[in-house]
Amino acid sequence: MATTSTTAENGKAFTVKKTFSRETSVGIDIKAHPSIIWALLTTAPDYPRWNPTVISIEGNIAAGSTIKLKSTLAPKRIFTLKIKEFNPENSLAWGDAMGNRVFTLSKKGTGPVGFSMTEKIGGPLFPLFAKMIPPFDAAFEQFAVALKKEAERIMNTK
Amino acid sequence: MQTDLLTKEFEQSSNQLKSYILRITASVADTEDIMQDTYIKASEKLDTFKGQSSFKTWLFAVASNLAKDNLRARKRWVENVTDMGREAALSHQEFFQEAMHIHATSPQGQFEIKEHITFCFTCIAKSLPLEQQITLLLKEVYEFKVNEIAQIVDTTEAMVKYYLHTGRAKMISIFDNRCALINKQGVCHQCSELNGIFNPKQKFQEEVVKIEMAREAEKGDKEHLFDLRMKVIQAIDPFLSDAAELQLHHLEHNSRVMENYFEKNVV
Repeated sequence: MATTSTTAENGKAFTVKKTFSRETSVGIDIKAHPSIIWALLTTAPDYPRWNPTVISIEGNIAAGSTIKLKSTLAPKRIFTLKIKEFNPENSLAWGDAMGNRVFTLSKKGTGPVGFSMTEKIGGPLFPLFAKMIPPFDAAFEQFAVALKKEAERIMNTK
Repeated sequence: MQTDLLTKEFEQSSNQLKSYILRITASVADTEDIMQDTYIKASEKLDTFKGQSSFKTWLFAVASNLAKDNLRARKRWVENVTDMGREAALSHQEFFQEAMHIHATSPQGQFEIKEHITFCFTCIAKSLPLEQQITLLLKEVYEFKVNEIAQIVDTTEAMVKYYLHTGRAKMISIFDNRCALINKQGVCHQCSELNGIFNPKQKFQEEVVKIEMAREAEKGDKEHLFDLRMKVIQAIDPFLSDAAELQLHHLEHNSRVMENYFEKNVV
């Protein structure tokens, strides 16, 4: 599940389009303890405070649970997503029948934590609705930058 | 450490410890119980104190562990608890009869706006997750350092920073939306309403400008306003102040309101 494409770590998103799928990824280095990044990624009600791409998340982000996500990309829709992977301070994945979003944290010795986020959507009917799905790149970049900013701000709390 | 030294150290920290437990439990009776239990537990565990922290930090750790097991401490209140308390008070005449009696007869029955700000903070902080409430109190009210708080609550410094940051952000947001002292659009005017009842001859605006937080409100620096609010709270001991009995009466009232709320809405 957690296999992600190699992602750039400069906060720039990129998308790979194929006939039956589309995959968007972003990566960024964060100078904060992984537990802080993990807490931000897994505390559902707090998302709208720091993340400009999320309107709301209802439910608990915990292994096996289900959340209801409202995002600025499609504010009129509520996505019901299952938490498919939950490895504290390591990887998190949620998704539905159409696709999965995978978050990974990789600690680089005493250096920053590498954060990456990849969402792959697709399936046999993907070509029929591909044009209706907005591009994710800008929202992914906003997400990554907001997470970095908030985590580093917390890390620098005196 | 000898028991007599423990007693001495305990007495030196007891006022802060007691107000800290009250702010977590919102119950005078439970506070007294936890204070006694803290002393007993500290006596039993005295040989485990190795001087890796100050004795005060260690005592706060013992008290925090006991408080975290307390049912009333674990209950989380709602953000608009003071609105609910107000409504309940208006529909029960006994509340004002009791309060006016305390006001008229107790040496600790004065109504002061600063005291109400403190009471209000205690109530609203109970809407935070318990870890956030405890770390916020330890840092902002009792001025422990992040590494000391990590020892007290037995977690990492990174998580203390997370709880502090998120707790503080939430409290700032709640006060900005609610408190008419710092935001003209704030929905809560309770301190001016109560001041009108208990101090009818006072002019509220004249009183309120004595409070730095209210004077600085127009500048709109929310972080700074929260720091000023914390200064008000640091300066007040909820058991020893001139308004203690009146404010404790209000706190017990809100506590009952919340208990009733939990009974009706299985939380």
